[in-house]
Amino acid sequence: MPIFDSLGSGGEKTAIVIDLGAAFTKCGFAGETGPRFIIPSEIRKPGQQQAIKVVQYNINTEELYVILKEFIHILYFRHLLVNPRDRRVVIIESILCPSHFRETLTKVFFKQFEVPSVLFAPSHLMAIMTLGINSALVMDCGYTETLVLPVYECTPVLPAWEALPLGGKAIHKELDGFLVEQCTVDTDTTTGQSVAAAIGIIPEETVEDIKVRTCFVSDLQRGLKIQEAKFNLDGTAERPAPPTDVAYPLDGEKILHIKGSIRDSVMEILFEQDNEEKSVATLILDTLVKCPIDTRKVLSENLVVIGGTAMLPGFLHRLLAEIRLLVEKPKYSDVLASKSFRIHAPPAKPNCTAWLGGAIFGALQDILGSRSVSRDYYNQMGRIPDWCCLSSPPPECLYDVGKTPPPLMKRAFSTEK
Amino acid sequence: MASLLQPDRVIYLVRGEKRIRASLSQLYFCRYCSELRSLECVSHEVDSHYCPSCLENMPSAEAKLKKNRCANCFDCPCCMHTLSTRATNIPAPLPDDPTKTTMKKAYYLACGFCRWTSRDVGMADKSVASGGWQEPENPHAQRITKLIEYYQQLAHREKQERDRKKLARRRQCMPLAFSEKYGLGTRLQRQRAGAPISSLAGLSLKEGEDQKEISIEPAQALDEVEPLPEDCYTGPISLPEVTTLRQRLLQPDFQPAGASQLHPRHKHLLMKRSLRCRKCEHNLSKPEFNPTSIKFKIQLVAVSYIPEVRIMSIPNLRYMKESQVLLTLTNPVENVTHVTLTPCDDEDPDDINSTAKVVLPGKELVLAGKDAAAEYDELAEPQDFQDDPDVVAFRKSNKIGFFIKVIPQKEEDADVTVSFKIRHDFRNLAAPVRPSEEGGGGAGGAAAAAAVSEAVWLTHQVELRLGPLAP
Repeated sequence: MPIFDSLGSGGEKTAIVIDLGAAFTKCGFAGETGPRFIIPSEIRKPGQQQAIKVVQYNINTEELYVILKEFIHILYFRHLLVNPRDRRVVIIESILCPSHFRETLTKVFFKQFEVPSVLFAPSHLMAIMTLGINSALVMDCGYTETLVLPVYECTPVLPAWEALPLGGKAIHKELDGFLVEQCTVDTDTTTGQSVAAAIGIIPEETVEDIKVRTCFVSDLQRGLKIQEAKFNLDGTAERPAPPTDVAYPLDGEKILHIKGSIRDSVMEILFEQDNEEKSVATLILDTLVKCPIDTRKVLSENLVVIGGTAMLPGFLHRLLAEIRLLVEKPKYSDVLASKSFRIHAPPAKPNCTAWLGGAIFGALQDILGSRSVSRDYYNQMGRIPDWCCLSSPPPECLYDVGKTPPPLMKRAFSTEK
Repeated sequence: MASLLQPDRVIYLVRGEKRIRASLSQLYFCRYCSELRSLECVSHEVDSHYCPSCLENMPSAEAKLKKNRCANCFDCPCCMHTLSTRATNIPAPLPDDPTKTTMKKAYYLACGFCRWTSRDVGMADKSVASGGWQEPENPHAQRITKLIEYYQQLAHREKQERDRKKLARRRQCMPLAFSEKYGLGTRLQRQRAGAPISSLAGLSLKEGEDQKEISIEPAQALDEVEPLPEDCYTGPISLPEVTTLRQRLLQPDFQPAGASQLHPRHKHLLMKRSLRCRKCEHNLSKPEFNPTSIKFKIQLVAVSYIPEVRIMSIPNLRYMKESQVLLTLTNPVENVTHVTLTPCDDEDPDDINSTAKVVLPGKELVLAGKDAAAEYDELAEPQDFQDDPDVVAFRKSNKIGFFIKVIPQKEEDADVTVSFKIRHDFRNLAAPVRPSEEGGGGAGGAAAAAAVSEAVWLTHQVELRLGPLAP
C-alpha cells in the first residue's frame, strides 16, 4: 500500500518499530507486514573478535549507554536509513524488563538521537493485536526465558505471570554439553578426535546453527520414552531408535559428526519437569489456575505462542499434546473445569508476531502521539513512567498551565487503577 | 619511529556535554561556536541514498517507496554477494510458424561466488535483462491491511472522544476534583503513558455512528496442529538443502527452511551522512550528492583550523629525571598564528591522566602561514623570526619543532602522560561583516574586510602519551 507508506493522516511520517530481543532485534516501519531486518543484538568493536551483547542487565549505566548508543546508531544509519529526529519510536519490550535498562534506552533515544517520542509496548499485548481478538493466553518463548502472560479484554492480567529460564540459551548450553561429550571431529589428518582437542570451545553461533538445522522436537509418545530412558532408574527403559547422524562441516577443514540421538533429545529439556514439576507446558496451566475463574475458558481456547524458540519443528504439536496430558493430573483437573485448548496461528512468523503487533499499533497515527512519552515530558520529568512505579504524574497534568495537581495525586494509589 | 605518529598519541579534549578525548584527525571544528566537536556531540542526518553495486543515486522519495532497495541489483540469498545477470540462447518457437524454432535470448541470475543461480529455486528465465524479476509477496498482507484499517477506525473514535472530553473538561473544574476523589471513573479513562496499553476494545463499534463500519473477523483458533512428518525421525538430512539461520533471517517475511525456497532480494541501499552542530545547527560536514565522488561540499574538520601537535622524538625517560622531548607544531591556516603553551593547574578537574610534570617554553611561538606555493618558489626569502635555539629546534614553512621538558612522577609507569593547554589566535573568516565597517563605504570596504575578521583566542587541552619509562 504505497499510499499508506508515504502519507500518514496529517502528513506525519511513519513511526519506526523496534523489538530489542536478547538474541535478535527486529526493526522496521509501522504499517508494514514484516520487519525490514532481523539482526543479532550485538555490536562488534574494531579489533575484537568477540561480539558484545547489547541486552545486558548487569553492567553499569555508563557502559550500557555506550553500547546502546552504538547499536541504535547502526540500526538507524545502516538498516533503517532515516533521520532519527523525524520519526516516533515504538519499542516492543517484555513486561519484566528492568527499569534501569528502560531508562538508559530512553535516555539514548531522547538525548543522543532526539526522537520526538517513544512508546514502550508490552510484547504480549501487541501479539493479540495481530489477531483481532481481545483476550488470549500469550506465551513468549525467547532466548533467555519463556514468559507466559494472560491478556483479558486487552488488559494484561499482571498477577498471573509465569516464567521459566528455559529458552534458546538453555538449549544452547545443553546442546553444547552433548556435543563436547559425545561427538567427534574429523580433520584433514586425524579422525575421531574429541571436540575439545580439535577445536576447543564451540562458538555459540555454531551451536545455534546446529540447533536450527538438525534438531527437532519429538512428539509426545516418543518424547516420554526418551525421557524415561534418560532417567533410567531400573535399567529397563529403552530409547526409541535415534535419527540419523549428521556430518556437520566446520570451517572447511573439520567435520563434526553429530550423533543422531542428540538431535531429538536436546529439546526434551523444555518439557522435562524439574524438581518443582515445572516445564514449559505447566507454565500455561499454572497461569490458568492463577487467573480468575470466569476468564479461564476464554483464555484456554485462545492460546498464542510467539518467540523464536517456538519456531522449532514439532514444538507446537508437542506443546498442545503435553498440555492435554498434564491437565488430567489431579493438581489441575480439580481446579480447571474446561479442558479444551485451542491455539492461534498469527499472520506472521512467531519471532515477528510481537513486532507486527507493534507495527499495527504504530500505524494508528491518531492516537500514537497521545499515548507516547514525548521529548518535552521526558525533559521536564527526567524519567519515563513505568508500570511498577506509581509516583510519576500522567502527562496531561503538565499541559494544564496554572492548574496545580490536586493533592490526592501524592497519596497512595492503592484504590485507583 | 612511525609509532610516534599514531593517532592516539596526541589527544585533544572536547568540552561538550561529556568530556571526550580524541585525536585531532577525528574531530570537527564549528566555526560559528569556535569550539571543537566530536562525532558524539553532533547530530547525524541521512543525506542521500545510493546503491553500493551500481552506484546510482536514489532520491529519498523513491527510496521510501522501494523500501530502501535498489531496483536493478540483487543479492544472492545464499552468500549475500551481488548477483549478475547472465544470458543464454534457448530455442523458442517462432510466433508465426510453430514448427520452426529460432534462438532467443533468455536471462537468469547467477552468483559468481557460490554458483547459485535463479534456476535453482525454480524461477523461470526472463526475456528482458532487467526489470523482469519480482520479489514474492507476503501471503498475509491483505489480512494485515484489514486489521490496520479496523484499528484505525477505533483509534479515530478514541481521538474524537478525547477531543470532546478536553473541550468538556475545561468548562467544569470543581466536579473533576470530586470525581477524582470518589470515583474510579475518570481515572480509568485517562490513558497513562507508560502504563500497559489499555484497550481500544472499550471503543467497540457497537455504537454504530459511522456509516462505513469496518468489522473484522477475529482469528479462529485451531484445535490441532500438524505433527512432524514421519521421515523426520528416520530419514537422512542433507545439510546443503537446509537453510542456515542467517539465510532465513535475511527474508523476515518468509524465513524458509528449505534452500529451494530462497528467493533473491533487491540490494539494500547505503547512505551518506551529514553532520550538524547541536548548538548552532550549522552543518559541519556535508558530502557531495554524487555517489562516485568522495569530496565534501562542507568540511569543517579540526585539522584545517587548529594547530596540530605531533611528537617527533622521545629520549629515554627516567623516573624523576628531566628529559627533553621534541614536538612539532603545524599551522593549518594561511595567516601567521601565535601560540602560547601553558601548563595545567594542579587542581584542574579535566586533567586526570597526566603522570608527569612538564616544563613548557614560556615565550610565545610564532608560526608562519601555510603557503601552498612555497615549495615551488625557491627564490622566496625565508621570513625572519628570531628563534631562541633553546626553545625552537627547527623551522620549516608552516611547521616548527620545539622542546619541552618532561619529569616523570610515577615509578614503574607504563605510559607517561603529560597534558598542557595550547592557546592560539583564530581568525573567523566566516563571521559576517559588521555594520559599522559597512558604513565606511566601498573604498574602505576592501581594507576593512581584512581587519574585520577579529582574532579570537582559543584554548585547547592537549594530552601526550610518551610511552613507558626506559628500563
